[in-house]
Amino acid sequence: MPEQFERGELERLRLHVLPTKRFKTFALSLFAGIPLSESRVTPTALTPFVLRRGTQSYPDTLQFRERLDNLYGAGFGFDLYKRGDHQVVNFRLDIINDRFVSSSESLLKEALKFLGEAVTAPALEDGKFRPKYVEAEKTTVSKRIDAIINDKIRYAGERCVEEMCRNEPFRLHALGRKDDLPGIDAGTLTEAYRSWLQDVSLDLYVAGDTSLSEVQEIVGGAFRLPQGSPAGYQEPALIPARDEVQTIVERLDVGQGKLNMGLRVGSSYGSDKYPALLVYNGLLGAFPHSKLFVNVREKASLAYYASSRLDGHKGIMTIQSGIEIANYEKAVGIIREQLAALERGEFTADDLAKTKAMMSNQIREIQDSAFERIGFDFSGVVAGKDRTGESFISELEAVTPEMVVEAAKDVKLDTIYFLRDRKGEG
Amino acid sequence: MEKMDYPKLQETVWHEKLENGLEVFVLPKSGFTKTYAAFTTRFGSVDNRFRPPGGDEMKVPDGIAHFLEHKMFEEPEGDVFSRFAAQGASANAFTSFDRTVYLFSATRQIPENLTTLLDFVQNPYFTDENVEKEKGIIIQEIDMYRDNPDWRVYFGLIEALYQDHPVHIDIAGTAKSVRSITKEMLYDCYNTFYHPSNMTLFVVGGVEPEPTFELIRQNQAGKSFPQGGDIRRTVAEEPPQVKDKKRDIRLPVSLPKCLFGFKEPQGTAQGEAGIRQELATKLALETILGPSSPLYQKLYDDNLISDNFGYEFNTGPGFAFSIIGGETANPEELMERVTAALYDTAAKGIDSDVFERTRRKRIGGFLRMLNSPESIANEFTRYRHRGGDLFRVVQYYESLTVDELNELLKSHVSPDRLAACIVRSAEA
Repeated sequence: MPEQFERGELERLRLHVLPTKRFKTFALSLFAGIPLSESRVTPTALTPFVLRRGTQSYPDTLQFRERLDNLYGAGFGFDLYKRGDHQVVNFRLDIINDRFVSSSESLLKEALKFLGEAVTAPALEDGKFRPKYVEAEKTTVSKRIDAIINDKIRYAGERCVEEMCRNEPFRLHALGRKDDLPGIDAGTLTEAYRSWLQDVSLDLYVAGDTSLSEVQEIVGGAFRLPQGSPAGYQEPALIPARDEVQTIVERLDVGQGKLNMGLRVGSSYGSDKYPALLVYNGLLGAFPHSKLFVNVREKASLAYYASSRLDGHKGIMTIQSGIEIANYEKAVGIIREQLAALERGEFTADDLAKTKAMMSNQIREIQDSAFERIGFDFSGVVAGKDRTGESFISELEAVTPEMVVEAAKDVKLDTIYFLRDRKGEG
Repeated sequence: MEKMDYPKLQETVWHEKLENGLEVFVLPKSGFTKTYAAFTTRFGSVDNRFRPPGGDEMKVPDGIAHFLEHKMFEEPEGDVFSRFAAQGASANAFTSFDRTVYLFSATRQIPENLTTLLDFVQNPYFTDENVEKEKGIIIQEIDMYRDNPDWRVYFGLIEALYQDHPVHIDIAGTAKSVRSITKEMLYDCYNTFYHPSNMTLFVVGGVEPEPTFELIRQNQAGKSFPQGGDIRRTVAEEPPQVKDKKRDIRLPVSLPKCLFGFKEPQGTAQGEAGIRQELATKLALETILGPSSPLYQKLYDDNLISDNFGYEFNTGPGFAFSIIGGETANPEELMERVTAALYDTAAKGIDSDVFERTRRKRIGGFLRMLNSPESIANEFTRYRHRGGDLFRVVQYYESLTVDELNELLKSHVSPDRLAACIVRSAEA
């Protein structure tokens, strides 16, 4: 029986503590989410970059990093991503449990203090972020946005979603918009940061050899947040697919073509239909025994990778494959045929059993990683759907072939995106 | 069954060398749901000239170890992935310079999955037809990497550093070398390198040692193998000079990517001494180039580096080299300033406070890594093949001295063994 989260609240923070002795570390994870919007996306993206430059106690970046080194090389970092129609900043800190090292201080306490200060008590000058940090991090974010194109697999994936979601906030990138950066300075960013702290939904997770009461006691002094109670998350807007599939072809200097497809699936993580959709995605393209891998790669030898991914928080699915450019029509034909076959219910009981076995295994494996366990739990928080590993596995086991066919009928192709070379252009 | 206890780390590893020569390790992780198993052969991309036990020397096409890895998953009754899927396991494999690793992770049916792992790797099935079909897939894999600037700059640097040592050969080979591979060549490689005496099995996670060993013993006792023997690998003599001082590659990138590094002319020492050398060199580089070094901060402030700036120190049979760099607006200036700092520290020596802080950081990083069964299995096997012990890393670190680091640094950063590779966009 896996350990269970203990839950509490402390002013604006929701606390989730997983007491466990299995790990050599304390894993800390803070999720901070707000609705995606044009006006806030860029300052929100820039904020964690500036926060990681220094705090009140460690205002210089070198002091900040030396402090982490002295905490036995605590791993501090952050990620920016979209969860449904929200932009989430996820701060993480991974630190050794004191019992493995000869430390005189409580490392959990020091880690929580550090994280709390990094997020809520940054280094300031005249009540504003240090202009030097803001300017440097604007450059960094701008370079990150530019660098997306370097990895063609990622670039093609993001372009496809951007084209499909052209008329909704989801088209925005979690890193924000490059064009907004020049208009931001230390003053405007500090204002944006303060209002972000007012509105943001905050979930703090701790996994390790501790308890809710211990964490609660430390957190009280570690986070300096505005008054209030925890904010929640909203359900994503479920948009129907275009009446006619749009095809976008983009040309760059590439050798291999990247074929991507965007599909609408009609429901999201919180829905009772979600388990059937996930099984559908498993049959289609999540595993080496799935239809895409078997037919595009193994039978036709067209690609090295061919897979599908379900974004349950947004209610969309994507398909991705890298192919020889001349094989475009052939690959599109084979992929569309797999979608049609699933709609006709053409899969065996054996395929279904394998898919369920693989998915159940993935969910059970999550239990062995502190950060994955935390990520799974947070999905439930965002969607307002309480799922444990066991309950989710039971939901998947209960999916029948008929339910998969029902789910398949809701899946609609919206966008085909092809990244190809410049030969024969114009 | 031999018990290896590491009380400070709260880990216990069980070990046995089977009659056929297979080395087996089991590490039970109490409370873990998942089991991860890695079945490793000492056969990688550098093993391109060898003499099998009792045979004549052969030279095999580039990329054959990786090709063999792909083809192992095919069995007369179909694809092995499908069998693993039916048993709820996710399986995979990878090929590196000196190893090929087959692995699975699962939370149920561990005996069945272990049996499948042992059986499929010990049952080659290559036909003219299935070998031919794989070529299209692997050529797409090669094309995918050709469009990836990070891979290109990384391998471009190794090609610039090495003249003769096969570490400079791309692990997947080229479209041409892949097309020349035949089923006979695959069998030759298989028969040479997949003998149990050249292999290691590591099982970690929610398992009991004794029943696990018993299953593996029984499985191996039911199979017959020819007498194992010494595989003679012909390692090319690598001259001390680099092949090219600088390589330029054109690919569309947002900013140039620049990597540079030094090669150790003789590779690293064998056994524990080599492991210490590797850890010490990495520690020395971290003190100068890590994110909490003054140099890193200055380069960042001067807009010469991004968060992806970093370094590596890679070692294996007959090779050892550092790789330093990342994306930068000005490759020449970056290289100039970083190498100047390296030469300067090599001349003056590393500060002992910085040494202590950085050592503490690396010990913490090592302990955090032990949360991951995958990392334990892969790193343990890598250390073992080189005659070291992963679970003694903390002791290795604790026994290092700043003088030792200074000596190593001085001999490593030699200007005549420096090469660079730069990927930039074509001029408009």
